[in-house]
Amino acid sequence: MAATSRTYRSIRGALSAACALTGIGGVATSHATEVETAILGYTEPNRVSALETVLQARHDFGSGRLANFKVVYDALTGASASGAVPGAAVQTFTRPSGRGSYTTAPGETPLDDTFRDARVAVSGGATLPLGRLSTISAGLYGSGEHDYTSLGANASFSRDFDRRNRTLSAGVSFSQDTVTPEGGRPIPFASMTPVGPDQPRLAGDGSKDVADAMLGLVQVIDRATLVQFTYSLSRVTGYQTDPYKLVSVVDPTTGAPVDQIFEHRPDARTKHILFGRVKRQLPHGALDLSYRFMTDDWGIASHTVELRDRVALGGGGKYLQPHMRYYSQSAADFYARWLLDGAALPDHATADYRLGEFHAWTFGLEHGRDLGRDHRLTARVEYYRQVGDGHPAGAPGALANYDLFPVVDAWIFQVGYSFGS
Amino acid sequence: MRRRNRTALAAGLALAASLLTSSLFGGCASLGVQPWERDLLAQRSMRLDGDPVTAALDEHIYFSKEASTGGAGFGGGGCGCN
Repeated sequence: MAATSRTYRSIRGALSAACALTGIGGVATSHATEVETAILGYTEPNRVSALETVLQARHDFGSGRLANFKVVYDALTGASASGAVPGAAVQTFTRPSGRGSYTTAPGETPLDDTFRDARVAVSGGATLPLGRLSTISAGLYGSGEHDYTSLGANASFSRDFDRRNRTLSAGVSFSQDTVTPEGGRPIPFASMTPVGPDQPRLAGDGSKDVADAMLGLVQVIDRATLVQFTYSLSRVTGYQTDPYKLVSVVDPTTGAPVDQIFEHRPDARTKHILFGRVKRQLPHGALDLSYRFMTDDWGIASHTVELRDRVALGGGGKYLQPHMRYYSQSAADFYARWLLDGAALPDHATADYRLGEFHAWTFGLEHGRDLGRDHRLTARVEYYRQVGDGHPAGAPGALANYDLFPVVDAWIFQVGYSFGS
Repeated sequence: MRRRNRTALAAGLALAASLLTSSLFGGCASLGVQPWERDLLAQRSMRLDGDPVTAALDEHIYFSKEASTGGAGFGGGGCGCN
Protein backbone atom coordinates (compact mmCIF):
# COMPACT_ATOMS: atom_id res chain seq x y z
CA MET A 1 0.00 0.00 0.00
CA ALA A 2 2.61 2.51 1.12
CA ALA A 3 4.40 3.18 -2.11
CA THR A 4 1.36 2.26 -4.08
CA SER A 5 -1.42 3.95 -2.16
CA ARG A 6 -1.99 6.74 -4.52
CA THR A 7 -5.41 8.03 -5.04
CA TYR A 8 -6.18 10.34 -7.85
CA ARG A 9 -9.10 12.21 -6.49
CA SER A 10 -8.17 15.74 -7.20
CA ILE A 11 -9.84 18.79 -8.46
CA ARG A 12 -7.39 18.84 -11.30
CA GLY A 13 -9.72 17.26 -13.78
CA ALA A 14 -12.59 19.58 -13.09
CA LEU A 15 -10.40 22.65 -13.00
CA SER A 16 -8.47 21.77 -16.12
CA ALA A 17 -11.68 21.26 -18.01
CA ALA A 18 -12.87 24.64 -16.78
CA CYS A 19 -9.60 26.21 -17.86
CA ALA A 20 -9.72 24.69 -21.30
CA LEU A 21 -13.14 26.15 -21.75
CA THR A 22 -11.98 29.68 -21.21
CA GLY A 23 -9.96 31.69 -23.61
CA ILE A 24 -6.98 31.69 -21.32
CA GLY A 25 -4.25 29.22 -22.01
CA GLY A 26 -5.50 28.26 -25.40
CA VAL A 27 -8.58 28.32 -27.52
CA ALA A 28 -11.38 25.94 -26.66
CA THR A 29 -12.05 23.37 -29.31
CA SER A 30 -15.63 22.60 -30.25
CA HIS A 31 -17.68 19.44 -30.89
CA ALA A 32 -14.60 17.26 -30.91
CA THR A 33 -13.28 14.21 -29.12
CA GLU A 34 -9.73 13.97 -27.93
CA VAL A 35 -8.28 10.68 -26.75
CA GLU A 36 -4.92 10.37 -25.06
CA THR A 37 -3.16 7.16 -24.16
CA ALA A 38 0.16 6.53 -22.50
CA ILE A 39 2.24 3.71 -21.14
CA LEU A 40 4.89 4.43 -18.56
CA GLY A 41 7.66 2.28 -17.17
CA TYR A 42 9.28 3.17 -13.87
CA THR A 43 12.27 1.41 -12.42
CA GLU A 44 14.51 1.88 -9.41
CA PRO A 45 17.47 -0.48 -9.86
CA ASN A 46 17.25 -3.22 -7.18
CA ARG A 47 14.05 -1.74 -5.80
CA VAL A 48 10.61 -0.99 -7.20
CA SER A 49 9.46 -1.40 -10.79
CA ALA A 50 6.10 -0.24 -12.07
CA LEU A 51 4.14 -0.23 -15.29
CA GLU A 52 1.32 2.22 -15.73
CA THR A 53 -1.19 2.62 -18.55
CA VAL A 54 -3.61 5.49 -19.04
CA LEU A 55 -6.57 6.11 -21.32
CA GLN A 56 -8.20 9.50 -21.19
CA ALA A 57 -10.98 10.82 -23.37
CA ARG A 58 -12.60 14.20 -23.53
CA HIS A 59 -15.55 15.20 -25.62
CA ASP A 60 -16.63 18.73 -26.42
CA PHE A 61 -20.38 18.84 -27.03
CA GLY A 62 -20.21 22.45 -28.12
CA SER A 63 -21.59 25.52 -26.36
CA GLY A 64 -19.08 25.07 -23.59
CA ARG A 65 -20.25 21.64 -22.51
CA LEU A 66 -17.46 19.14 -21.87
CA ALA A 67 -17.21 15.62 -20.50
CA ASN A 68 -14.13 13.64 -19.62
CA PHE A 69 -13.35 10.09 -18.65
CA LYS A 70 -10.15 8.44 -17.56
CA VAL A 71 -9.05 4.95 -16.60
CA VAL A 72 -5.64 4.03 -15.20
CA TYR A 73 -4.19 0.60 -14.60
CA ASP A 74 -0.83 0.05 -12.98
CA ALA A 75 1.15 -2.85 -11.65
CA LEU A 76 4.00 -2.61 -9.19
CA THR A 77 6.53 -5.05 -7.90
CA GLY A 78 9.82 -5.01 -6.07
CA ALA A 79 11.34 -3.89 -2.81
CA SER A 80 11.04 -0.79 -0.67
CA ALA A 81 13.02 0.40 2.37
CA SER A 82 11.20 -0.80 5.48
CA GLY A 83 12.60 1.94 7.71
CA ALA A 84 14.78 -0.42 9.75
CA VAL A 85 18.50 0.38 10.05
CA PRO A 86 21.37 -1.81 8.82
CA GLY A 87 23.07 -4.08 11.35
CA ALA A 88 26.39 -5.88 11.77
CA ALA A 89 24.66 -9.26 11.65
CA VAL A 90 22.16 -10.83 9.27
CA GLN A 91 18.72 -9.49 10.14
CA THR A 92 15.47 -11.41 9.69
CA PHE A 93 12.18 -9.58 9.21
CA THR A 94 8.68 -10.99 9.25
CA ARG A 95 6.68 -10.23 6.14
CA PRO A 96 3.73 -7.85 6.67
CA SER A 97 1.25 -10.71 6.29
CA GLY A 98 2.89 -12.52 9.20
CA ARG A 99 3.57 -15.47 6.93
CA GLY A 100 7.18 -15.93 5.97
CA SER A 101 10.23 -13.76 6.38
CA TYR A 102 13.07 -12.11 4.49
CA THR A 103 16.66 -11.50 5.50
CA THR A 104 19.05 -8.59 5.10
CA ALA A 105 22.80 -8.99 4.80
CA PRO A 106 25.13 -7.22 7.28
CA GLY A 107 25.48 -3.52 6.51
CA GLU A 108 22.66 -3.58 3.97
CA THR A 109 19.56 -1.38 4.12
CA PRO A 110 16.58 -3.60 4.97
CA LEU A 111 14.29 -3.76 1.95
CA ASP A 112 10.84 -5.26 2.20
CA ASP A 113 10.57 -7.22 -1.03
CA THR A 114 6.89 -8.04 -0.58
CA PHE A 115 5.48 -5.38 -2.87
CA ARG A 116 3.32 -6.75 -5.61
CA ASP A 117 0.22 -4.84 -6.38
CA ALA A 118 -2.14 -3.76 -9.12
CA ARG A 119 -4.45 -0.78 -9.10
CA VAL A 120 -7.35 0.38 -11.21
CA ALA A 121 -8.53 3.98 -11.07
CA VAL A 122 -11.53 5.42 -12.88
CA SER A 123 -12.60 9.04 -12.97
CA GLY A 124 -15.03 11.15 -14.91
CA GLY A 125 -16.40 14.62 -14.91
CA ALA A 126 -18.37 17.26 -16.74
CA THR A 127 -18.18 21.00 -17.30
CA LEU A 128 -21.13 23.22 -18.03
CA PRO A 129 -21.34 26.91 -18.88
CA LEU A 130 -23.02 29.22 -16.43
CA GLY A 131 -23.82 32.32 -18.37
CA ARG A 132 -21.35 33.76 -20.84
CA LEU A 133 -18.29 34.00 -18.59
CA SER A 134 -18.59 31.28 -15.96
CA THR A 135 -18.37 27.53 -15.83
CA ILE A 136 -19.04 24.87 -13.25
CA SER A 137 -17.36 21.48 -13.20
CA ALA A 138 -17.89 18.35 -11.18
CA GLY A 139 -16.27 14.94 -11.12
CA LEU A 140 -16.15 11.57 -9.43
CA TYR A 141 -13.21 9.33 -8.72
CA GLY A 142 -12.69 5.76 -7.55
CA SER A 143 -9.70 3.47 -7.27
CA GLY A 144 -8.97 0.08 -5.86
CA GLU A 145 -6.03 -2.17 -5.11
CA HIS A 146 -5.98 -5.26 -2.96
CA ASP A 147 -5.33 -3.37 0.28
CA TYR A 148 -6.56 0.13 -0.53
CA THR A 149 -9.67 1.81 -1.90
CA SER A 150 -10.46 5.45 -2.48
CA LEU A 151 -13.67 7.21 -3.46
CA GLY A 152 -13.87 10.92 -4.11
CA ALA A 153 -15.83 13.78 -5.61
CA ASN A 154 -14.91 17.30 -6.64
CA ALA A 155 -16.53 20.50 -7.85
CA SER A 156 -15.25 23.83 -9.06
CA PHE A 157 -16.40 27.20 -10.31
CA SER A 158 -14.55 29.42 -12.75
CA ARG A 159 -15.22 32.94 -14.06
CA ASP A 160 -13.50 35.07 -16.67
CA PHE A 161 -12.86 38.79 -16.32
CA ASP A 162 -11.34 41.61 -18.34
CA ARG A 163 -11.93 40.38 -21.92
CA ARG A 164 -11.10 36.85 -20.72
CA ASN A 165 -7.63 37.97 -19.76
CA ARG A 166 -8.19 36.93 -16.15
CA THR A 167 -9.80 33.78 -14.78
CA LEU A 168 -10.60 33.19 -11.13
CA SER A 169 -11.41 29.68 -9.96
CA ALA A 170 -12.44 28.01 -6.75
CA GLY A 171 -12.71 24.30 -6.17
CA VAL A 172 -13.29 21.75 -3.45
CA SER A 173 -12.81 18.01 -3.31
CA PHE A 174 -13.45 15.30 -0.78
CA SER A 175 -12.41 11.69 -0.65
CA GLN A 176 -12.58 8.78 1.70
CA ASP A 177 -9.83 6.18 1.67
CA THR A 178 -9.83 2.77 3.31
CA VAL A 179 -6.76 0.69 3.98
CA THR A 180 -6.96 -3.03 4.68
CA PRO A 181 -3.32 -4.06 5.11
CA GLU A 182 -1.94 -7.53 4.61
CA GLY A 183 -2.41 -9.30 7.93
CA GLY A 184 -4.27 -6.34 9.46
CA ARG A 185 -3.13 -3.05 10.99
CA PRO A 186 -0.26 -3.44 13.45
CA ILE A 187 -0.58 -1.82 16.87
CA PRO A 188 1.57 1.35 16.79
CA PHE A 189 4.98 0.83 18.39
CA ALA A 190 4.32 -2.89 18.87
CA SER A 191 7.39 -5.06 18.37
CA MET A 192 7.56 -7.02 15.14
CA THR A 193 6.98 -10.64 16.13
CA PRO A 194 8.94 -13.49 14.54
CA VAL A 195 7.16 -15.80 12.12
CA GLY A 196 4.82 -18.04 14.07
CA PRO A 197 3.07 -16.12 16.84
CA ASP A 198 0.33 -13.74 15.72
CA GLN A 199 1.31 -10.09 15.39
CA PRO A 200 -0.95 -8.03 17.68
CA ARG A 201 -3.31 -6.03 15.47
CA LEU A 202 -5.75 -3.15 15.68
CA ALA A 203 -9.38 -4.01 15.09
CA GLY A 204 -11.01 -3.13 11.78
CA ASP A 205 -9.81 -1.29 8.71
CA GLY A 206 -8.10 2.07 8.65
CA SER A 207 -9.88 4.95 7.01
CA LYS A 208 -9.17 8.58 6.42
CA ASP A 209 -10.97 11.59 5.02
CA VAL A 210 -9.27 14.06 2.70
CA ALA A 211 -10.79 17.51 2.15
CA ASP A 212 -9.15 19.97 -0.24
CA ALA A 213 -9.99 23.52 -1.20
CA MET A 214 -8.28 25.59 -3.88
CA LEU A 215 -8.33 29.15 -5.18
CA GLY A 216 -6.80 29.89 -8.55
CA LEU A 217 -5.95 32.87 -10.72
CA VAL A 218 -4.79 32.86 -14.33
CA GLN A 219 -3.76 36.16 -15.90
CA VAL A 220 -2.72 36.94 -19.45
CA ILE A 221 0.20 39.34 -19.27
CA ASP A 222 0.80 39.99 -22.95
CA ARG A 223 0.46 38.33 -26.33
CA ALA A 224 3.01 35.65 -25.41
CA THR A 225 2.86 35.37 -21.62
CA LEU A 226 0.46 34.15 -18.98
CA VAL A 227 0.82 33.49 -15.27
CA GLN A 228 -1.00 31.26 -12.85
CA PHE A 229 -1.25 31.34 -9.05
CA THR A 230 -3.03 28.88 -6.81
CA TYR A 231 -3.46 28.41 -3.12
CA SER A 232 -4.52 25.02 -1.81
CA LEU A 233 -5.57 23.92 1.63
CA SER A 234 -5.69 20.22 2.41
CA ARG A 235 -6.93 18.57 5.56
CA VAL A 236 -6.43 14.85 6.14
CA THR A 237 -7.94 13.11 9.15
CA GLY A 238 -7.85 9.45 10.07
CA TYR A 239 -5.40 6.60 9.75
CA GLN A 240 -2.19 7.87 8.10
CA THR A 241 0.32 5.44 9.57
CA ASP A 242 2.06 3.22 7.03
CA PRO A 243 1.24 -0.26 8.35
CA TYR A 244 4.29 -1.76 6.62
CA LYS A 245 6.98 0.56 7.99
CA LEU A 246 9.26 -0.14 10.95
CA VAL A 247 11.48 1.90 13.25
CA SER A 248 14.58 0.25 14.71
CA VAL A 249 15.26 0.51 18.42
CA VAL A 250 19.04 0.42 18.84
CA ASP A 251 21.52 0.01 21.66
CA PRO A 252 22.63 3.55 22.68
CA THR A 253 26.28 2.47 22.83
CA THR A 254 26.83 -0.09 20.09
CA GLY A 255 24.08 1.05 17.71
CA ALA A 256 23.02 -2.57 17.22
CA PRO A 257 19.28 -3.07 16.60
CA VAL A 258 17.63 -4.66 19.63
CA ASP A 259 14.01 -4.37 18.50
CA GLN A 260 11.93 -3.48 15.44
CA ILE A 261 8.69 -1.65 16.18
CA PHE A 262 5.89 -0.51 13.91
CA GLU A 263 5.73 3.20 13.16
CA HIS A 264 3.03 5.60 14.32
CA ARG A 265 1.95 8.85 12.61
CA PRO A 266 -0.47 11.55 13.78
CA ASP A 267 -4.07 11.12 12.66
CA ALA A 268 -4.48 14.68 11.37
CA ARG A 269 -2.50 16.71 8.87
CA THR A 270 -3.12 20.18 7.43
CA LYS A 271 -1.21 21.32 4.37
CA HIS A 272 -0.91 24.75 2.76
CA ILE A 273 0.38 24.94 -0.79
CA LEU A 274 1.28 28.02 -2.80
CA PHE A 275 1.94 27.56 -6.49
CA GLY A 276 3.06 30.00 -9.15
CA ARG A 277 3.71 29.42 -12.81
CA VAL A 278 4.61 31.42 -15.87
CA LYS A 279 4.27 30.28 -19.49
CA ARG A 280 5.87 32.27 -22.26
CA GLN A 281 5.97 31.75 -25.98
CA LEU A 282 9.45 32.42 -27.34
CA PRO A 283 10.82 32.41 -30.89
CA HIS A 284 12.17 28.87 -30.45
CA GLY A 285 9.13 27.44 -28.66
CA ALA A 286 7.50 27.71 -25.25
CA LEU A 287 8.89 28.04 -21.74
CA ASP A 288 7.07 26.75 -18.65
CA LEU A 289 8.51 27.68 -15.25
CA SER A 290 6.83 26.92 -11.92
CA TYR A 291 7.49 27.09 -8.21
CA ARG A 292 5.61 25.40 -5.38
CA PHE A 293 5.90 25.91 -1.64
CA MET A 294 4.28 23.47 0.74
CA THR A 295 4.13 23.60 4.52
CA ASP A 296 2.19 21.43 6.93
CA ASP A 297 1.64 20.91 10.63
CA TRP A 298 3.81 17.81 10.60
CA GLY A 299 6.78 20.17 10.35
CA ILE A 300 7.49 19.50 6.69
CA ALA A 301 8.25 22.38 4.33
CA SER A 302 9.14 21.82 0.71
CA HIS A 303 10.22 23.78 -2.35
CA THR A 304 9.74 22.59 -5.91
CA VAL A 305 11.08 24.36 -9.00
CA GLU A 306 10.25 22.95 -12.41
CA LEU A 307 11.23 24.06 -15.89
CA ARG A 308 10.11 22.79 -19.28
CA ASP A 309 11.46 24.36 -22.44
CA ARG A 310 9.71 23.21 -25.60
CA VAL A 311 11.90 23.68 -28.66
CA ALA A 312 10.07 23.47 -31.98
CA LEU A 313 11.88 21.46 -34.67
CA GLY A 314 10.56 22.72 -37.96
CA GLY A 315 7.21 21.45 -39.24
CA GLY A 316 5.15 18.39 -38.45
CA GLY A 317 4.61 19.46 -34.86
CA LYS A 318 8.03 18.13 -33.97
CA TYR A 319 9.58 19.33 -30.76
CA LEU A 320 12.19 18.49 -28.15
CA GLN A 321 11.39 19.38 -24.58
CA PRO A 322 14.10 19.32 -21.92
CA HIS A 323 12.72 19.07 -18.40
CA MET A 324 14.39 19.91 -15.11
CA ARG A 325 12.95 19.68 -11.62
CA TYR A 326 14.46 20.41 -8.23
CA TYR A 327 12.75 19.42 -5.02
CA SER A 328 13.78 19.76 -1.38
CA GLN A 329 11.94 19.02 1.83
CA SER A 330 12.60 19.23 5.55
CA ALA A 331 11.85 16.29 7.81
CA ALA A 332 8.62 15.69 9.70
CA ASP A 333 8.89 16.57 13.40
CA PHE A 334 8.41 12.93 14.31
CA TYR A 335 10.90 11.53 11.79
CA ALA A 336 13.45 9.40 13.62
CA ARG A 337 15.97 7.27 11.74
CA TRP A 338 16.29 5.18 14.93
CA LEU A 339 15.04 5.16 18.52
CA LEU A 340 17.30 4.51 21.50
CA ASP A 341 16.73 1.51 23.70
CA GLY A 342 15.77 2.52 27.24
CA ALA A 343 14.52 5.98 26.25
CA ALA A 344 10.86 6.91 26.54
CA LEU A 345 8.88 6.44 23.33
CA PRO A 346 7.78 9.65 21.60
CA ASP A 347 4.11 10.23 20.77
CA HIS A 348 4.78 9.48 17.10
CA ALA A 349 7.71 8.20 15.09
CA THR A 350 8.51 7.15 11.55
CA ALA A 351 11.71 6.18 9.78
CA ASP A 352 10.10 6.36 6.35
CA TYR A 353 12.69 8.16 4.22
CA ARG A 354 9.89 9.96 2.36
CA LEU A 355 9.20 11.94 5.53
CA GLY A 356 12.90 12.66 6.11
CA GLU A 357 15.01 15.56 4.91
CA PHE A 358 16.29 15.23 1.35
CA HIS A 359 16.50 16.87 -2.02
CA ALA A 360 15.89 15.45 -5.46
CA TRP A 361 16.67 16.25 -9.08
CA THR A 362 14.86 15.20 -12.21
CA PHE A 363 16.31 15.55 -15.69
CA GLY A 364 14.26 14.56 -18.67
CA LEU A 365 13.82 14.91 -22.40
CA GLU A 366 10.61 14.55 -24.38
CA HIS A 367 10.11 14.32 -28.10
CA GLY A 368 6.81 14.83 -29.83
CA ARG A 369 5.61 14.82 -33.41
CA ASP A 370 2.39 14.80 -35.39
CA LEU A 371 1.40 11.62 -37.20
CA GLY A 372 -0.87 13.02 -39.81
CA ARG A 373 -3.83 15.21 -39.06
CA ASP A 374 -4.82 15.23 -35.37
CA HIS A 375 -2.63 12.28 -34.41
CA ARG A 376 0.31 12.84 -32.11
CA LEU A 377 3.11 10.69 -30.72
CA THR A 378 5.30 11.54 -27.76
CA ALA A 379 8.16 9.75 -26.04
CA ARG A 380 10.16 10.77 -23.03
CA VAL A 381 12.87 9.52 -20.73
CA GLU A 382 13.58 10.93 -17.29
CA TYR A 383 16.10 10.33 -14.55
CA TYR A 384 15.24 10.98 -10.91
CA ARG A 385 17.79 11.08 -8.08
CA GLN A 386 16.94 11.52 -4.42
CA VAL A 387 19.71 12.33 -1.94
CA GLY A 388 19.52 12.57 1.87
CA ASP A 389 21.99 12.63 4.74
CA GLY A 390 23.37 9.10 4.94
CA HIS A 391 25.45 9.85 8.01
CA PRO A 392 23.31 11.93 10.38
CA ALA A 393 24.89 13.39 13.49
CA GLY A 394 24.57 11.42 16.68
CA ALA A 395 24.41 7.98 15.11
CA PRO A 396 25.43 5.64 17.96
CA GLY A 397 28.14 3.00 17.63
CA ALA A 398 28.23 1.03 14.41
CA LEU A 399 25.37 3.02 12.86
CA ALA A 400 27.88 5.78 12.13
CA ASN A 401 29.57 3.39 9.67
CA TYR A 402 26.48 2.70 7.57
CA ASP A 403 24.76 4.70 4.88
CA LEU A 404 21.45 5.44 6.58
CA PHE A 405 19.90 7.25 3.59
CA PRO A 406 20.96 5.43 0.42
CA VAL A 407 20.54 7.40 -2.78
CA VAL A 408 17.35 6.54 -4.66
CA ASP A 409 17.76 6.44 -8.43
CA ALA A 410 14.88 5.99 -10.82
CA TRP A 411 14.40 5.86 -14.58
CA ILE A 412 11.14 6.73 -16.24
CA PHE A 413 10.18 5.83 -19.80
CA GLN A 414 6.93 6.91 -21.41
CA VAL A 415 5.29 6.66 -24.80
CA GLY A 416 2.09 8.52 -25.50
CA TYR A 417 -0.30 8.49 -28.42
CA SER A 418 -3.24 10.82 -28.83
CA PHE A 419 -5.74 11.61 -31.51
CA GLY A 420 -8.57 14.02 -32.01
CA SER A 421 -8.54 17.74 -31.51
CA MET B 1 1.19 40.56 22.73
CA ARG B 2 1.76 37.54 20.58
CA ARG B 3 -1.79 37.71 19.29
CA ARG B 4 -1.31 41.40 18.44
CA ASN B 5 1.87 40.60 16.53
CA ARG B 6 0.05 37.93 14.62
CA THR B 7 -2.80 40.30 13.80
CA ALA B 8 -0.33 42.93 12.63
CA LEU B 9 1.46 40.35 10.50
CA ALA B 10 -1.81 39.22 8.95
CA ALA B 11 -2.83 42.83 8.25
CA GLY B 12 0.59 43.51 6.71
CA LEU B 13 0.37 40.45 4.51
CA ALA B 14 -3.15 41.35 3.40
CA LEU B 15 -2.03 44.89 2.56
CA ALA B 16 1.00 43.62 0.66
CA ALA B 17 -1.16 41.13 -1.22
CA SER B 18 -3.73 43.76 -2.17
CA LEU B 19 -1.02 46.18 -3.28
CA LEU B 20 0.65 43.46 -5.29
CA THR B 21 -2.62 42.38 -6.86
CA SER B 22 -3.71 45.91 -7.72
CA SER B 23 -0.32 46.86 -9.12
CA LEU B 24 -0.06 43.62 -11.04
CA PHE B 25 -3.53 43.36 -12.44
CA GLY B 26 -5.45 46.52 -11.73
CA GLY B 27 -3.11 49.41 -12.16
CA CYS B 28 -1.62 48.35 -15.44
CA ALA B 29 -3.96 49.20 -18.26
CA SER B 30 -1.78 47.44 -20.81
CA LEU B 31 -2.08 44.04 -19.13
CA GLY B 32 -3.80 41.43 -21.22
CA VAL B 33 -4.56 41.25 -24.92
CA GLN B 34 -7.38 41.96 -27.33
CA PRO B 35 -9.30 38.98 -28.71
CA TRP B 36 -7.49 39.25 -32.06
CA GLU B 37 -4.11 39.04 -30.34
CA ARG B 38 -4.48 35.49 -29.08
CA ASP B 39 -2.62 33.70 -31.85
CA LEU B 40 0.34 32.72 -29.69
CA LEU B 41 -1.70 32.04 -26.55
CA ALA B 42 -3.94 29.76 -28.61
CA GLN B 43 -1.14 27.39 -29.47
CA ARG B 44 -1.27 23.99 -27.87
CA SER B 45 2.07 24.48 -26.14
CA MET B 46 0.57 27.40 -24.18
CA ARG B 47 -2.36 25.46 -22.75
CA LEU B 48 -2.18 25.15 -18.99
CA ASP B 49 -3.68 21.68 -19.26
CA GLY B 50 -1.74 20.86 -22.40
CA ASP B 51 -0.44 17.51 -21.23
CA PRO B 52 -2.75 16.21 -18.50
CA VAL B 53 -1.76 12.55 -18.83
CA THR B 54 1.94 13.23 -18.30
CA ALA B 55 1.14 15.67 -15.48
CA ALA B 56 -0.94 13.03 -13.70
CA LEU B 57 1.71 10.34 -14.18
CA ASP B 58 4.40 12.64 -12.79
CA GLU B 59 2.19 13.55 -9.87
CA HIS B 60 1.72 9.87 -9.16
CA ILE B 61 5.46 9.20 -9.16
CA TYR B 62 6.34 12.13 -6.95
CA PHE B 63 3.48 11.35 -4.60
CA SER B 64 4.96 7.93 -3.96
CA LYS B 65 8.50 9.27 -3.38
CA GLU B 66 8.01 12.62 -1.63
CA ALA B 67 5.92 14.20 1.14
CA SER B 68 4.37 16.94 -1.03
CA THR B 69 1.64 16.63 -3.61
CA GLY B 70 -0.75 18.80 -5.54
CA GLY B 71 -0.81 22.56 -5.70
CA ALA B 72 -0.69 23.05 -9.43
CA GLY B 73 -4.44 23.05 -9.71
CA PHE B 74 -4.81 23.24 -13.45
CA GLY B 75 -1.98 20.89 -14.21
CA GLY B 76 -0.96 18.94 -11.15
CA GLY B 77 -3.62 17.44 -9.02
CA GLY B 78 -3.37 16.33 -5.48
CA CYS B 79 -3.54 13.40 -3.23
CA GLY B 80 -3.92 13.64 0.49
CA CYS B 81 -2.51 10.21 1.18
CA ASN B 82 0.81 9.24 2.62
